[in-house]
Amino acid sequence: MITLEKSIKSIKDILTSEDILVFEFASDKGKKFAVIYADGLIDKQLLGELVIKPLRHVDLEADKEEVKAALASPELKDGKKIADAVKEISGGNAVLLIDGEKDFFVAGVKSPPSRAVAEPPTQVAVHGPREGFVEDIKINLGLIRKRIKSDKLQVKTVFTGKQSDTAVSIVYIDGICPKGLPEKVEKEIVSGKIDIIPDSSYVAQFLAKRPRSLFKRCGSAEKPDIFCAKVCEGRVGIVVDGSPMCLTVPYMLMEDFQSVEDYYVNSYRATTLRILRVLSVLVGIMLPALYISAQLFKIQLIPFQLLLKISSSVAGLALSPSVEMFLTLFVLEVLNEASIRMPKYVGLALSVVGALVLGDTAVKAGIISTPAIIIIALSAICLYTVPNSVETTTTLRWLYLIIAGSIGPFGVVLFTSYLISYIVSEQTYGVPLAAPFAPIVKSDMYDSFVKANLYTLRERPDVFKPKNKVRLKDNEN
Amino acid sequence: MKINARQICFILIVYTAVTKLLIYPTMLANLCGRDVLFPAMINFLIEGIVIWSVSFLCSRTDKTFFELLTDNIGKVGAKIVYGFFAAYFILMTIIPMFEQMHYVHTIFYDTVPSLLVFLPFFMFAVYAASKNLMNIGRCADICLPIFAFTMAFLFIMAFQEVEWDNLLPILQTPAKKIIGGVSGTAFRFFEPCWLLMFMGHFKYKKWDAAKFTLSYAAGAAIVLLFLAVFIGIYGDIATSRTFAVSRTSIYFPAIETIGRIDLIMLYVLESVMLFALVINIQLSVHAMTFCTGYSDKKVWAVAVNAVLLIILITCDHNFHNINQFYSNWIWIAVAVFTVAVPLLAWALRRKNES
Amino acid sequence: MKVKFDVSKLSVIIYWIIVLALLGLFFSNDFGLVDIHKTAIITAVGIDSDVDGEVLVTCEIAAPQPSQSGDNIKYTQVQGSGLTIADAMNEVNSKTGFYPKLQFCKLILIGETCKDQELFRVLGCFYRKNYSELTALVAMCEGKASDMLAMSSPVSDMTSEAIRKALSEEIEKSANATSASLKDIALSGYSKSHACYMPFVEANVPGTSQNGGNGDNVGGDSSQGGGQSQGGGQNQSSQSGSSGGGGEGGQSGQGQSGQSGQSGSSGEPMEFTARRTAIFTDGKFKGILDERQSFALAILKEDIRLAVLPCDAEGTHYTLGLKNVKGGISLKINDGVPMLEIKVSASAQIQGARVVVQPSETANDDVVSEHVLKGANEEMQERIAALLKTVKENDCDILGVKELLYKYHTKYFEAFKDDLLSRMQVACKVDIFSVN
Repeated sequence: MITLEKSIKSIKDILTSEDILVFEFASDKGKKFAVIYADGLIDKQLLGELVIKPLRHVDLEADKEEVKAALASPELKDGKKIADAVKEISGGNAVLLIDGEKDFFVAGVKSPPSRAVAEPPTQVAVHGPREGFVEDIKINLGLIRKRIKSDKLQVKTVFTGKQSDTAVSIVYIDGICPKGLPEKVEKEIVSGKIDIIPDSSYVAQFLAKRPRSLFKRCGSAEKPDIFCAKVCEGRVGIVVDGSPMCLTVPYMLMEDFQSVEDYYVNSYRATTLRILRVLSVLVGIMLPALYISAQLFKIQLIPFQLLLKISSSVAGLALSPSVEMFLTLFVLEVLNEASIRMPKYVGLALSVVGALVLGDTAVKAGIISTPAIIIIALSAICLYTVPNSVETTTTLRWLYLIIAGSIGPFGVVLFTSYLISYIVSEQTYGVPLAAPFAPIVKSDMYDSFVKANLYTLRERPDVFKPKNKVRLKDNEN
Repeated sequence: MKINARQICFILIVYTAVTKLLIYPTMLANLCGRDVLFPAMINFLIEGIVIWSVSFLCSRTDKTFFELLTDNIGKVGAKIVYGFFAAYFILMTIIPMFEQMHYVHTIFYDTVPSLLVFLPFFMFAVYAASKNLMNIGRCADICLPIFAFTMAFLFIMAFQEVEWDNLLPILQTPAKKIIGGVSGTAFRFFEPCWLLMFMGHFKYKKWDAAKFTLSYAAGAAIVLLFLAVFIGIYGDIATSRTFAVSRTSIYFPAIETIGRIDLIMLYVLESVMLFALVINIQLSVHAMTFCTGYSDKKVWAVAVNAVLLIILITCDHNFHNINQFYSNWIWIAVAVFTVAVPLLAWALRRKNES
Repeated sequence: MKVKFDVSKLSVIIYWIIVLALLGLFFSNDFGLVDIHKTAIITAVGIDSDVDGEVLVTCEIAAPQPSQSGDNIKYTQVQGSGLTIADAMNEVNSKTGFYPKLQFCKLILIGETCKDQELFRVLGCFYRKNYSELTALVAMCEGKASDMLAMSSPVSDMTSEAIRKALSEEIEKSANATSASLKDIALSGYSKSHACYMPFVEANVPGTSQNGGNGDNVGGDSSQGGGQSQGGGQNQSSQSGSSGGGGEGGQSGQGQSGQSGQSGSSGEPMEFTARRTAIFTDGKFKGILDERQSFALAILKEDIRLAVLPCDAEGTHYTLGLKNVKGGISLKINDGVPMLEIKVSASAQIQGARVVVQPSETANDDVVSEHVLKGANEEMQERIAALLKTVKENDCDILGVKELLYKYHTKYFEAFKDDLLSRMQVACKVDIFSVN
């Protein structure tokens, strides 16, 4: 017969950390119990109410089943192995040990510190829901379940990260999601043997077959409404514990141009906005490059009157057009980086330094010209119309700039052709990155540059090859 | 299947047209004066028949051209034929490559830039050529809308300057000159060979032969319209206006205020031209893999591009002579590889016909 | 041990090498490029010729001065000379240290001094070089082109822009001037007609319609009465420093033209007009059409929106506005005889008359009475007749009749091409009707 002390010791021998607490107590009749938990991760009040209080009147001779019957916790699990107990305690649950029993119970009283559900900073919407994911996987799964009440919604949780043992939930809808896709995703996630998964972006890298690729391989969603919409189209969603950014696969390049709001406003407005976003991104990436190509190699690209103004502005500048643009873009990137990292109360000072000192004074000093600042500012604004792609687009802007300054406009065209060739040959989980344009998927075109109305989008995207294609049934009445 | 019928249609529309917008119109004007439409039509008609013939052959068998050849003349024979085709595709790339280089030097740069400026093209060509036929097809998917948009824009900008009666008198040019025009520009026509290489790599569906032929006709129609516009604008001085596509839209009145928007369109169109130029290199690599049995396309892509690079560097100052040589003699190779071989493919026994 | 070759690692290395190479090029800027700092933006070119046959090229150059707002532009003239335009341009290059770009050259002004030169020898360079588009307007000017480009204008800081305003599309559409680009000239000059025309630019003292230069009507025929208002060379002698008389101006204009522009440049701003037209056959200068002939030429060759036609009817002078002007020529061969058909139709309304206006009468301006229409018809016929007379006398097929013969009656071309202008019959039908 195992004594309570022995059971406690076997766990404490493994979990030696001081924040693993042991609370020993006994019932009125003398039956001894111990609860082991990680300090700060559980709701102690809940533990008292659901576990400790109900055991107050348990008989001395009560067996495991009687104890279980007395417990009021709705989330209760049996356990046999010490390793399982250790895992549960590390995961934030409480383990109940019973004197004289080898087995133990796990009470789900997890309550890790978490922030409240709030509107995410990068996917702000004027129309539509404002709830955003948080760091707690349970809350996130709850937010998803709140929106998809279907019995077909499947959540499969796996653990990855050698040290962190992070929970990663794979969410999909049975009957819509293509067969075999969740299994593939699970395999990729589990295969990632890394110490810690601090964020979903780590998982995203395991999901990408070509981690060196310049382009993203996973869609992302910070809001449950976006996430659910994507899952309902046939994608697999991935929720990572500790990350407010959920992932979706397969991913298409066009996804980032589809804002959530497109689905909440009328289709004309949505289409206009999408075209605007595409043009903005093109302008944002290419404008600095075209500007210096024009200045260095082909001034005819600039209208005559504008050319005179630009010539006048750059006349007397100490730097060559390419170096000037490089410097201006460098300053923008530095300001951008600093404004994100800097404490908020220094932000004002940064604005003054950035806008007045660097901007105005540099122009007056003849280091950079006014048009260069306008070009870079416009480029920066344009790229942020599609915030999800900013990492890729800013990198591309640098590449284009360097190519334009070295080879000129032909380099710009050549690099664009290379990118086209590169993008069309890429695919994630069997879905081409450039779909629905290359290859052309006619039915999916209605939700690409163009956002058709709901009645036109009766079918789920064909490119995912969903099991059940129909999204909107005809009104049978 | 690596490529699909729709993508082949796009290739036939876009690449047929885009490879004939630079020097071809000027060359034709030099050979036939204003009467450029008739010789162009003859060439298109001949090639169109061959296209239809190969398309129709595709409907009769699921086999690739290589498999057909293997069935009939044995594997060694098939490899030799593919070797010839690999060389032919390289041969057919040389003039368009020089043409592109001079076009790039003229249109993309105000001064005469160094030869180095064009060399990065080969990096792109190596990358593209190391990809499979699926990549060719998907690139065509992207190229069609780009081509349609830019050409529509350029045509709209050009139309108001066109004097259609510059095309007159029709059919007054002596037959000898017309034949000279047909044979002298025949080396710009190699589309049926593409189809021969695609054969068996796509799933043939009913009416695909008609679709391919009509697509080729659409590409031809675009070229003929462009020729008409070009001659309509320049008449007798068309002979001196090289890189025709860059010359037709500059008279658009709004250019005065908004700048050379036609140049932007030409730059966008250039990306399509690059894909059209690269397709011959891609198919040469494709043929080499069959010819040698060594399927690592990267190696062949490097090899084929190295050959082209050497030709480019060594013959940089002989473009005129090379063009003249092609104009005078290469029609024979065209007659063999672009016309005779595709037509003779019908003579091959098709075991297990589908 | 067999070492496995990792292609993906190699590609990363290749990409890095490419990026580093590009960065090297980026910072060295060494592709023989010519950037905006080093470029002389040529906005106009003036071409003159001296007695030895050397050409003198005057480039109007926009030289931007440092300015934050970007509105500080200086326009200067730089000259170069040589046996060819290219020689001269090369000299400009060596003088300015800039690389001269002709892409923004919108005006090519040919001085009267070039009229003894073959036109396509003068302009040949522009057709050869890829550096210049064929969109630039071409005009002949009185006196020396260099002098005209040196004049100041109240209309614009850029003299060439002021001149181009006189050649603008709007003016062309009102038949007040003809216009010709490099392309137009080559197209007609190299056509079967072998003839071309270009506007003739004159400088006037503001507030007058008199020439700043001293050239009189150059060449042309004696019937160029309509151009008298420009023949003000004698009035300008004080400015131009010449005593160039009128009359047979073909030569007179040439001699003194060197000084004519200096009057303008020395201070007083000048206005530019281009109401006359220089004509050429086989690249050789044939004369200058007066205002009335130029008007007729514009009506027949250009796309006219609103033209103003003065006419006299029953002793009263009227100014008519012509709308929906449709003018054109066609050639027919009737029984082996070439017949040139000229058709002009337009709707007219009264814009002005030398009578005292009664408010009640202006309401009916759209209704033009028969006698006024008749006067307008006659005036138009006279102008066309004057044009045809010059065309025939100089054997200068600026109307493109031979080109029509080649296009539409090819089989007669060889037979008629040499004497078509003198052999053809002319049927002129003018139909000017009231707007309402």
